[in-house]
Amino acid sequence: MNYITFALAKGRLADMTMELLEKIGITCDEMKEKSRKLIFTNEDLKIKFFLSKASDVPTYVEYGAADIGIIGKDTLLEEKRNICETLDLGFGKCRFVVAGKKETAERFNKSNDLRVATKYPNIAKEYFYKKKHQTVEIVKLNGSVELGPIVGLSDVIVDIVETGSTLKENGLEVLAEICPVSARLVVNPVSMKLESERIIKIINGLKSLKAV
Amino acid sequence: MIDQRLHTPEGVKDYLPNEEAFKIEIERRIETIFTRYGYVPLSSPTFEYMEVFEGMGSIKPKQMYKFLDRDSSMLALRSDMTPAIARIAATAYDKSDIPLRFYYIEDVFRYNEKYQGKLREFTQAGIELIGVNSADADAEVIAAAVNSLIASGLKNFKVCIGNVLFFNAVIEEGGFDNDTYLKIQDFITEKDFAEAYKLVKESQASEGIKSIFEHLPVFIGGKEIISKAREFIKSKAAIDALISLENVFNILKAYGLEKFIKIDLSIIGNFDYYTGITFRGYAEGTGLSVISGGRYDKLIKNYGADFPSVGFAIKLNNLISALENQKNAIPFVYADTLIAFTEEGRNTAVETADELRSKGLNIENSLLGDDMQKNMNYAEKKNMGGILYFSDSENVKIIDMTSRDIKDVKISELLKNNMEGKH
Repeated sequence: MNYITFALAKGRLADMTMELLEKIGITCDEMKEKSRKLIFTNEDLKIKFFLSKASDVPTYVEYGAADIGIIGKDTLLEEKRNICETLDLGFGKCRFVVAGKKETAERFNKSNDLRVATKYPNIAKEYFYKKKHQTVEIVKLNGSVELGPIVGLSDVIVDIVETGSTLKENGLEVLAEICPVSARLVVNPVSMKLESERIIKIINGLKSLKAV
Repeated sequence: MIDQRLHTPEGVKDYLPNEEAFKIEIERRIETIFTRYGYVPLSSPTFEYMEVFEGMGSIKPKQMYKFLDRDSSMLALRSDMTPAIARIAATAYDKSDIPLRFYYIEDVFRYNEKYQGKLREFTQAGIELIGVNSADADAEVIAAAVNSLIASGLKNFKVCIGNVLFFNAVIEEGGFDNDTYLKIQDFITEKDFAEAYKLVKESQASEGIKSIFEHLPVFIGGKEIISKAREFIKSKAAIDALISLENVFNILKAYGLEKFIKIDLSIIGNFDYYTGITFRGYAEGTGLSVISGGRYDKLIKNYGADFPSVGFAIKLNNLISALENQKNAIPFVYADTLIAFTEEGRNTAVETADELRSKGLNIENSLLGDDMQKNMNYAEKKNMGGILYFSDSENVKIIDMTSRDIKDVKISELLKNNMEGKH
């Protein structure tokens, strides 16, 4: 039997995923130990896990280096990979928004030289060009995007927010909602066909958990 | 600045001899299968008017390599063989020639996304069966596809067949408003089954249709999938789509190929021109599909003839990487024998070399001089069977590269031995 490999996004999402998988009998004791290992195996179930940077999970799954990935919709929207999104797991909920200082609201609605700072240039572009039909200048940042409007680098930001408290603390407001985000189970299209029985069992198991 | 003299552009590559020889061998094997099914070769220009490809439900213009002719006509490199063959079928043949069976092995050019490991110039080997709309035609083409993969040496693969009409009928039966309809189609194209199901769940669609969307990503398996789906739908169009899928499956059973086939109702064609059965081949060892194909009954109308058709393309580069990952690559062999010689042996050596060539052996003349060790090192590195070392015009040493045995023989005896060896 071949191994089924899971790619998990490092951090909270991985912890929540393992909790969920444990409920359908998929465990990995190796992972609970503190170590510098990159790959964890459950030999009885023939399952492997590895942790990677969130934005790399769709890449591993597309190439078939992992059969299954658990990853936020935000990353999927930004990366646009050829993978099957089979299930909304319902956790890791947050939303994509445009945020800025209160006084930017008018500029946000009218201007055609708005400067947008974001970690997600594709999502920002899609929103402004396809939905809002507004020409903007997009500046890619790699973290602490909230700084953009504060230090005058950009007019607004496009980012994910959970509660909005970070925005508030920095004097920013949500100017528009783009879309909701949550964790997804994604599958490599080839694994979906070749290992369909075992993967379908996992999907159905997780689905029945959600129903409870 | 990179020194461009030393590099190839993104998405194209060199094929060094071991890779090129392997590729040619795979092409030859596939070609044999195509020929055995009665298909004949054809070729289209590497570039032609962009209008041949544009708006045909094929590759989007953004993904094509476009350029202007001197008279300002818009040209494009061949981005998909099927529209080119459709043009040829419609313009060079008529109803009396039906059915047409063509095969091709050609390079195709597409601006694939950067950094996704996808080539922009790649080889496709495919067939088109033109002029007939029947389950027999569909099954024949799928059988040729499966047998081509078997002939290539591929293991652990499945060809998944579905029917775009099934999905179209399901959407129809759902009775969605236009906005929802378009959104669902977008989600399915992006393989975002989770979002599509959410939309359907909140719509007015019947429970059956909702169940279809809930199960869509897992509607993969044997023939039982068809009867399972049958329980959820009511419309005649959807039932007909399942029946035609079942008919093709049954004929493939008669071909003895059902173990390579999976029914996959989540399949929707990657090209908009598909109008019926569609299929894709997947193999262990590559995350990309190795075959894609389907029925396209309306495409050729765009070029002026009403020929329903079906075909597929094997993505040769993906197939080769699957074969390599499965360790099924064919070992590369240089020449069978190295002919080495001294000054005195030269004349006999070159004469004998050509005589052996005429008997069908691949012979390489050594250009390394008469140093025995040098020649042996060379033959070993190139994986050759043996060396004939001509010491003078009369005497030859036969060196077997596997056992390292060295035998001294006379020239006259050598040719006699060789003849015996052949018989």
